[in-house]
Order: sequence, then structure tokens, then C-alpha cells
Amino acid sequence: MLLPPTDAKIVARRAEIVAALKEIVPDGVVADPSGLATFDADALSAYHQMPLVCVLPSNRQQVSEILKYAASHGVPIVPRGAGTSLSGGALPREDGILIGMGRMKRILEIDYENGCVVVEPGVTNLNITKAVEANGFYYAPDPSSQIACTIGGNVAENSGGLHCLKYGLTTNNLLGVTMVLPGGEIITLGGKCGAQGGLDLLGIVTGSEGLLGVVVEVVVKILRKAPVTRTLLASFGSVPAAGACVAAIIADGVVPAAMEFMDRRCAEAVEGYNQPGYPAGAEAILIIDADGVEADVTHAVARITEIVAGLGGTTVEATDEKQRTRIWSGRKAAFAAMGRLAPDMICMDGTIPRHALPKVLEEMAKLADHYQLGFCNVFHAGDGNLHPLIIFDTMKGDEFERAEAFGADILRLCVKVGGVLSGEHGIGVEKRDLMTEQFSTADLEQQHRLKCAFDAQGLFNPGKVFPTLSACIEQGHIHVHGAQLPHPHLPRY
Amino acid sequence: MSQVASEDQVVDFVHAAREAMSPFEIVAGGTRRSVGRPLLDSNGGGLPMLDVSGLSGIVKYEPAELIITARPSTPLAEIKAVLAEKGQRLGFDPADWSRLLGSNGVATLAGAASSDASGSGKLRHGGARDSLLGFRAVNGLGEAFRGGAKVVKNVTGFDLPKIMCGAFGTLGVLTEMTFRVYPKPRFAVTLSLADVTAEEGFAILRKIALSALEPAGLAYLPGNMMTAVGQEIGQAAALIKLEGSRQPLEEKIALAHGLLGDRMRRSEDDPFPAIGCGEMFADIAGDVWRVMIPRADAPRVAKELNARYWLGDLAGAVLWLAAEPSQGPRIREIAAKSSGQAMLLRGSAESRGRLGLFAPQAPALAAVSRAVKAAFDPLALFNPGRL
Repeated sequence: MLLPPTDAKIVARRAEIVAALKEIVPDGVVADPSGLATFDADALSAYHQMPLVCVLPSNRQQVSEILKYAASHGVPIVPRGAGTSLSGGALPREDGILIGMGRMKRILEIDYENGCVVVEPGVTNLNITKAVEANGFYYAPDPSSQIACTIGGNVAENSGGLHCLKYGLTTNNLLGVTMVLPGGEIITLGGKCGAQGGLDLLGIVTGSEGLLGVVVEVVVKILRKAPVTRTLLASFGSVPAAGACVAAIIADGVVPAAMEFMDRRCAEAVEGYNQPGYPAGAEAILIIDADGVEADVTHAVARITEIVAGLGGTTVEATDEKQRTRIWSGRKAAFAAMGRLAPDMICMDGTIPRHALPKVLEEMAKLADHYQLGFCNVFHAGDGNLHPLIIFDTMKGDEFERAEAFGADILRLCVKVGGVLSGEHGIGVEKRDLMTEQFSTADLEQQHRLKCAFDAQGLFNPGKVFPTLSACIEQGHIHVHGAQLPHPHLPRY
Repeated sequence: MSQVASEDQVVDFVHAAREAMSPFEIVAGGTRRSVGRPLLDSNGGGLPMLDVSGLSGIVKYEPAELIITARPSTPLAEIKAVLAEKGQRLGFDPADWSRLLGSNGVATLAGAASSDASGSGKLRHGGARDSLLGFRAVNGLGEAFRGGAKVVKNVTGFDLPKIMCGAFGTLGVLTEMTFRVYPKPRFAVTLSLADVTAEEGFAILRKIALSALEPAGLAYLPGNMMTAVGQEIGQAAALIKLEGSRQPLEEKIALAHGLLGDRMRRSEDDPFPAIGCGEMFADIAGDVWRVMIPRADAPRVAKELNARYWLGDLAGAVLWLAAEPSQGPRIREIAAKSSGQAMLLRGSAESRGRLGLFAPQAPALAAVSRAVKAAFDPLALFNPGRL
């Protein structure tokens, strides 16, 4: 992976930059090597880089001062939340200031009447729900890292989760942000009323991967928890039957709260790992949640059961909360279970049109033969978001190179069938050089001009998202070594 | 007027307009031409028009994928009919403002999305921005480009579909659009609670908004607006639209009854299409405003606005009102106090020229918005000044 070359002149001015930042945030500058080592990577742990310096502001004025300083001295900025990005969005630069937002973690206001919560960016995703759940509310987007990932990072990555099909991504659950622009000016986009009165810049900032500024306040929508949730486990004798089932459920007008697909290899690995009780011998399984008012859920469960049966599958319903949790525990352990089958694993992330699933699975099997590597598939089936897991051993010959090439071919395949490079992990450095597979030069130039409208100096997160002309093709993955996931305590699904 | 029927023709037209440094107005069905600042050339005359109505027709509808791809000038009515055949609908409940604006044109898909025209159904699935997944367009450099994609979940690159919605055609000439669609519930009812004050009415609506009932409409209408929706005369009412399959809907109605009490009335008539399109203001004189505020402020703001003709939609998050042209600055000031936005939806050319569509933005925001506009359209060729 080629990144823009380090500016040695900036590195040479390190002491001066550290001193200037200490003026702004006296108690929040990390400059010693052991302190900085904490920040040298995010969850895309194949890539490491020590930052020039890390600064931890406590309020928006400090953020503004830092960005003013960076702009006037031409120092790159890399924003970071909790560092759980799977695409290297928070990978530091040797010549850049890493601005960590973890200290700004106050919940500023809970406003039930307007159905929203106002928070600082360092609040974790899960803590928003925790703040309102006693009153029966929650914040809908639920990325697997929600226990650790911050709302600021969610805004930057437009994070998804298991329930996107029904409840949308981060962008559909945001009412407003306050952000500091490169250069230090503070603007507010939207707010409790959601309206902006001009171009929808909130829509652009959401998912902009730290390329446009630093978010310092976020207004999110909260929702009332559905009164009833029921979970079904459907198993099929063939992958196409499971794919057809997903399409038939959607075409029937049922919108499940979640609908997850696992192929046989994955289901067996999981069964051997934490015994969620998946049926032996099934070629594919679907885990489906239906939520809503009682009658809605009853109707959905009946329709889904009929559709599954019509396609030759069988359905088991969780009879209580314990069994629900058990069924889901298998899905949530998929990464860890696969990780035990080989020393290394990479997780891909792409979206395809649902109808292309059988073809894509068939092509992936051919690719696996070609590259002589094992893999399995988990899939947010409702919205077509694939997470193929490739297993390999770095110590064995060229397996790492083959795994990366396999992964890149999978993403090319996603694009070829009408899909996209990323459904929820983002581009970052991971998939940057594959952007040209999906976008034309004109498409990318348009996006790049938009970037320049915010950041004319190009100081924000350089080297991320947009391929550089000189870059060699690299591939996207989460690299897992020795079954050790980055942030091993976080579920990954 | 120049007509185009293909993306290539749009590219040629934009190249020619660049050469001539000649800004133009993009027109399809023409129903929304009177929204926003009048488009004038340096001599105060109208701008040349680019008629894009030829860019019409459904390209591909895939019900099982929950997406539809259409050319931008496809009539809304055509899209709705095609979706209804498969029991689906657009999520953003596109509003046809033609009767309100006194136009006999044909409301189109791109017109509704570009003007961020959502009706009461926005409560359920959000606005146009939440439904537009991908598009093709021609930018001000005369380059055809695309944003987003044709899948429902995508975080690849900047989310350009968002900014095309509500941009009033100032960023590009759209040539194709892909929307997410949603299942259309089989049944709907409107529940009403009559003879309630604005304070009581909006409180009820907020209670429903905060419930798990997934309402598809939440409006408060003063007594003098009720006749326009064919309801009982003279009594203000809180109106609640619920939808679903038969049994779930009956369950939701029962739950609503628990929240509303025995005064709740049930009707199969649906006043919300008229409310969402602002139709009851069509025959009322004066400028027509949409004031967008945090919904809990609705009773206070409505009182302060003190309009004779008004109503609250989206549980109070949008107040519609008719007002004398002189009232504009006062309305903007009241909206600003609630950190809201007052949009002048219908007004004379004089009002629109003086007040603009929205209040001026704070300087830093205005500067970045200008830079973003220039990133798409550096010569300001498209609908200059409308937004």
C-alpha cells in the first residue's frame, strides 16, 4: 500500500509542533513512543504507523485551535474515534497529527419529546442506547463493535449493523452534527429539526471517512423498542434455495429486522466453536428476526415459515430469550470460529444485488479452487452485504499474497454483478486502490473536487479513500493473525 | 428552449452552455418552476431553458431487490402506478405541489427529489435523501458521472445521492435515478381526536410518534382547515394515520385507543395526501411557508406565528402557513429562535426574490456550501440562485 510520501520537513519540526499542541491542550498531548504505540493502528491491523503526535482535545474550541494550527503550518490531520475501523480509516501518518476524540464523551441532552439525543463524538454507540433503554428506547444502528466504537466514528464511516435493512444506516438515523472544518471554523449541519436549509452537507459528511473535518457534536434519532421480537432459524439443502428464500421473503412484503445467511462451512465451524444448535448437514442457514407489534410479528413469522417450507427448507423458532441468544451467538462468533481453522483470516465486505447470490457463491468457489484457499460466507442477506472469510497461513509460502489476491477478486466480482466494494466497513486504505473498479475517472474526480471544497490544502486523512495514480493495486481485508482479532473482545459480524 | 432525450445530448448541451457562458434553467414537468428565487439573466429576463422531459421512463424495476431505476423526468404518477402493481411504493411519499403552486404541469420523480418534497409518509421511511441510492448526472464541466449505486447498502466513496436531493437542480442535470422502494401496507386508517387545542393535539401526536406504532401520518389541523380534508367542520383535530395488514392494523388501532381514549374516531378516508401536498393552501391567498422546527416546539411556534391558516404535519416538525408577504422576516426570525428553517414554498416573484427559499446561512456554512456548489458546477450554469 502506497501512501503519500512523508514530509520530512514536518517530521523535522516535531518538537515545535508538540509544543504548540501543548499550548492548546496542556494535558492532552501524547508524544512519547510508548504512548504513541497505542495509536499506531486501527482494527485493520496489517497496517501500522506511529503518528507524529497524538492530541486528545476536550472541547470544540481546542479542536478548532488544533485545526487552525494544522492549516497554518501545513500539517496533516488524521481523526480517530475508538480505532475500531476495519478499513484503516484511522491509520496514522508519520508526518501527521492524530486527533483522538475519546475524551469528548459527554451525553449532552436526552430529549424524548423530540425523539433525539445530543452527544459528543466520543460517546460509544452502545452508551447512547444505554442512556435511553430504561425508558424503552434505543439507537438503531448496531455495528458489531458497538460496545467500543464511538458515534463520531460511526458518522465518519456511516456504520451499519445487523438491522440496516429495516432501520437504515447511521446516515438515516442522524439529525445533525456540529463539525470543525479544516482551518478551524465551526459549522452546524441540521439539528433537532433535521432540516438544513440549503445543500445537504450532512449527507456528504456522513460516511466521509475523516476527509472533510472533525465532528464535535452529534444529534441522533432514538426509536421506541419494538414490543415483540421473534427469531427463526431456517435451514436449506442448497444455497440457491436459501437465496431464493431471501428474495421471496422480501418480495412478499415482509421486512425482517435482521436476516443473516451462513453457508455450510461457516455453520459447521461455528457449531464446533460454541454449539449454537445449528442443524447438521444444512448447506445454508438463515437467521431471521421479526419485530414489531404482536400481530405484525405473528404475521411475519407465519409468512416466513410458509416461504421456507415452500422452498424445501425447515424452520425452527426460538422459544425463549435464552434460545434466541443462543441462535444469535453462533452468528456473532462466526469470525472467531473461522479464525480457529487457520492461523490467519481476512474478512471481506462487499454488497451485491440479492439475486446475484447463487452466481457469486459459485464464482467464489471457483476462485477458492484457483487460489487453493479455504473460505466461507456470512452475509447480511436482507441487504445483500457479503462478508466472505478467507483462511490462510502467512507462514506458508505465498498464502498471504494469494489470500489478498482472492479477496480483491471477490470485490471485483461484487462490482461486476452490479454491487459495490463496501457495504459497511468503508474504503480507508484497505480498498482504496480498488475504487477504480467501481468508479470511472469522472466519478472519482467529482468526489475529489467535493473533498477539495472542504479541504483545499488536502490535509485531512491524506492517502485514504482515493487511489493515487502511482499506487499499485492492493486488496481489502481484515488481517487476523494467530486467531487474534484486532479488538478480540469485540464481536465481528 | 432546448430539448434533450439522452445523456449524450445533455453532455453536448452543457458543453455548449459552457462555451457560451450561458446559465440555464432545468425544466421537466415544470410544476416547481415557481419555487425559490426567480431565475433571471443580467437584464432581468428569463434564462434559457433546458427541457429534460424527454428523459422519461422506467429503466428497470426489480421488486425483489426493492429498487427501481428510472429516468429523472418519469411522472410520479407513472412510478406510483407501476410500484403499486407489485404492492410497493416510494419511501419518501413524494409530494406533488402542482395544485398548490397553480401549475398544470406533470410532477416528476426528479422534481420531487430535487425539491426534497416529501409528504406525511416521511415519518416512516425518511425523505428523498433516505431513498435515493444512486444516480447518473452531468456536472457543470459537461462530464457524465455517477454517484451511489444500485444496491440498498453502500458506503463506497462519498454519499453523493444525499446532496442531489433538495439541491433544486443546482449541482447537475440528472439523467438516471435509482430509488429504494418499500412494501406498501395493504390497509390504512385515519384516527382522529377532535376538539383539542394545539397544545393537547401536538402532545398526543408526539406520544404516538414515540410509540412503536410506526405511524404514517401525524398532523394537527385547526378547525378552519378541517373542511379542506373532508372532515367534521369547525373542530380542530389531531389526525393519526396507521397502516398494516388487517390483523396487525387492528392491533395497532387498539393500542392507539389505549393512548387516545374513547374520544378517538376512526375513518377510512385519508386526508394525508392533501396535507402532504399542501393542497388546502391552494385556494388561500398569500405566501405559503413550510416552517421546519423541533416538533416539541410546535405549539409555541404556532402560537407565535399566529397565522389564520395553518396546520402542523410530522407531529409538529413541519408547520404550514399562509401569510402576508410582509410577514416573511418575522416568520424567519421565529423559526430561527427554534433553530429551525422557514422555507418560502409559494410566493410572488417579489417575495421570492427578496426572501429567497431559505434564510441566509451563517458565513462559514455559506462559504463551504458555495465551494461545494462550485465543485459540481464551477461556472454556476445550473438554476443559478434558485437555492
